[in-house]
Amino acid sequence: MGRKLIKHPVSTGIYLLFILLIVVPVVYTVGSAFISDGSLGKNIRLLDKETFLLLGKSILIALIIALLSTLSGTVLGFSLYKTRVKFQGFFKVALLIPLFVSPYIPAVAWKDLFFTVFHTTNFISSNTGVIFVLTTVFTPLSMLITGSAFAAIDTRLEESGLMITKFGNVIVKIVLPLIKPAVLSSFILVFIFSISEFSVPAFFGVRVFTTEIFTQFSAFYNHSLAILQSALLILVCVILLLSEKKYIADAPFLSVSSKGTSSKRYGKPVINKLSFLFLSVWLFISVILPLIVLLMQSFKDGTASIVKAFELLLPTFGSSAGLAFAGAVLIVIVGFAAAYNSTIKNKKETIKSFDPLLLIVFAIPSTILGISLIKFYNHPGVDFIYSSFAIILIGYVGKFSFISAKLVENAIKQIPFSLFEAAQIEGISSSVGLRKILFPLIAPALFAAFIIAFIFSMSELGTTIMVYPPGSDILPIKVYTIMANAPQSLTSSMTLIVFLLTLLFISGFYFIAKPVVKNYGYAND
Amino acid sequence: MPMIELQNIDHSYGNKSVLENFSLKIGSNGLTCLLGSSGCGKTTVLRLIAGLEIPKSGKVIIENKIVSENGKIIVPPHKRNTGFIFQDLALWPHFTVYRNIAFGLIEQKEKDVKQSVYKMLEFFGLQSLAGKYPHQLSGGQKQLVAISRSLVLNPTVLLMDEPLANIDVKLKRKILDHIIELKRNFNITIVYVTHDHREAFAIADNIVIMNEGKIEDAGTVEQIKRSGNQYVKYFLEY
Repeated sequence: MGRKLIKHPVSTGIYLLFILLIVVPVVYTVGSAFISDGSLGKNIRLLDKETFLLLGKSILIALIIALLSTLSGTVLGFSLYKTRVKFQGFFKVALLIPLFVSPYIPAVAWKDLFFTVFHTTNFISSNTGVIFVLTTVFTPLSMLITGSAFAAIDTRLEESGLMITKFGNVIVKIVLPLIKPAVLSSFILVFIFSISEFSVPAFFGVRVFTTEIFTQFSAFYNHSLAILQSALLILVCVILLLSEKKYIADAPFLSVSSKGTSSKRYGKPVINKLSFLFLSVWLFISVILPLIVLLMQSFKDGTASIVKAFELLLPTFGSSAGLAFAGAVLIVIVGFAAAYNSTIKNKKETIKSFDPLLLIVFAIPSTILGISLIKFYNHPGVDFIYSSFAIILIGYVGKFSFISAKLVENAIKQIPFSLFEAAQIEGISSSVGLRKILFPLIAPALFAAFIIAFIFSMSELGTTIMVYPPGSDILPIKVYTIMANAPQSLTSSMTLIVFLLTLLFISGFYFIAKPVVKNYGYAND
Repeated sequence: MPMIELQNIDHSYGNKSVLENFSLKIGSNGLTCLLGSSGCGKTTVLRLIAGLEIPKSGKVIIENKIVSENGKIIVPPHKRNTGFIFQDLALWPHFTVYRNIAFGLIEQKEKDVKQSVYKMLEFFGLQSLAGKYPHQLSGGQKQLVAISRSLVLNPTVLLMDEPLANIDVKLKRKILDHIIELKRNFNITIVYVTHDHREAFAIADNIVIMNEGKIEDAGTVEQIKRSGNQYVKYFLEY
């Protein structure tokens, strides 16, 4: 009987829909670059030396961001999960803020700061600026991944080490090797996020591969070259991802921690002081300083800018929140189906485990996913998707379902299988088992997946900017298009409003989440 | 006539064979201990009886009825009238003690459920804990709740998979007394898996000693103590 407990054709249906709506468009678009848009030889010649140099530069920038983010994220993760530093709860929430706001928000803030202080933005509007801002944006992701790994280390492994050697050796020889999968997966995920990032390099006027693809597609209408460049970028991401697939699959990526788990914490005063210092400095650089700058810029001419920004953005709030809500619901459903397939159901009996598919689609840079969806759905018969919000929802699902699946999968893995077997022996039907046992136990993870999907969808720009139907009012698109020609104070005001709106949603969800986490979930007692 | 019979069972996990041509008969209304070191296949035998594993070949018979045979499940786990106490107890953490015990009675009327659950709680002296959650209970209380949860369904067979593996000696003695009491008060066949021969000697009517998927010896406590089998002698010495 193994682990096959509940048969659900629904998950198979979701899997097929995912392939049909998201994978087929990508395969079709990339394939068409080699077949329908001309001969392979002709198109390959479009990839000149300059293209490869630009690709090399983009890879280098992404590698540096991944390295710096993983290093700083690991130190933050250690400080939060392995020391007895003060205000841990506050730091854990506050340091996550950059991850949940659109990357262009800190970019605007830093540009403002440099302009205010140095009267020039040359330094920040550069490769270094992109690296710096994206490092502050993606470090929380690394902190989450490595932090979960630190928290999951069996206390006894460290304590038995401490019995025979000194603290430093335990950290280097025991703790760090144990979190290696998390460190590697953090590095790869940050690399993929960085190389896919479009808004920050575009805002700083730095030419990278994603901005080049966007230019070729939207400005020069050179679709063949854009798609070929996209295929190259997909190749880089997928090769990297698949080469480390095992580590990514094993890492406790974005897990909702169990109640009652306790990992070893070190109380040496010097470590606590250093940790507190590092956490405070990082919080100041990544959250407080950008917020102060945005506030100062927004109100430097009184309230006129902020009022105008509010009036401009107000019509987008409802549609953006509605889209993000619908997207988050779909993402959680797909994530659950994928997680369910790969954990509860017997892998041998199903070919429908679509974790690898989610991973590959996740690795496709946002702009390229957008191009694929446009090219595929702009055909008679399916153009009703092209001209509606459905295309944006499909983009959200493609982009973020992997994150949701990992979160839910980790939650399901924490539940001992005997809980389901006990129900089976008592004659509980599979649907009752799902409703009364599985769902309540993974409710915190489902809710966390929903919140993350909602916030990410709300601020998604790379795919949305390619696919949004004309005339639609979507928050990040509106901010991005207005800020290209708007005065600095209006840009800052709009950014501040988006920032505060995101904070409002996060706080709202936090208060709703509290009882869910308290009353449900699997408790390791 | 045996209550439980396993006939020529072959079972493996992947390429690793756990039981080969394994046969066993267990009589009714007594406590049979499956005793052996880790990895000898005793838990697999228990899971085969419960229906949580399906034998690759061979038959599992309960109350003279074939319940699984040659890779096929004929009677699903919940229709075998068996209860199962898992090693980790598998109490549902989001349910109170009352709901943990009542969950299997989902199709009965609320009044009957209440009566059955409280009868169980009373028997084990757990009435005051009805509203508590598993994480609020002591180790011993959890054991008793797990046993109550199984017994409330009036099983004819109770399968216990090393239920005392993670508790201290004093508490172990107390729970063992409860199991002996349970044996006296309920008309039930108990199959108890353990690796601790002292535990087995304290409660068993019959003992089956297993080693690497095979039965080394079987008999009453006294017979096992006097066994001439080399492995049994070695096992009981350590």
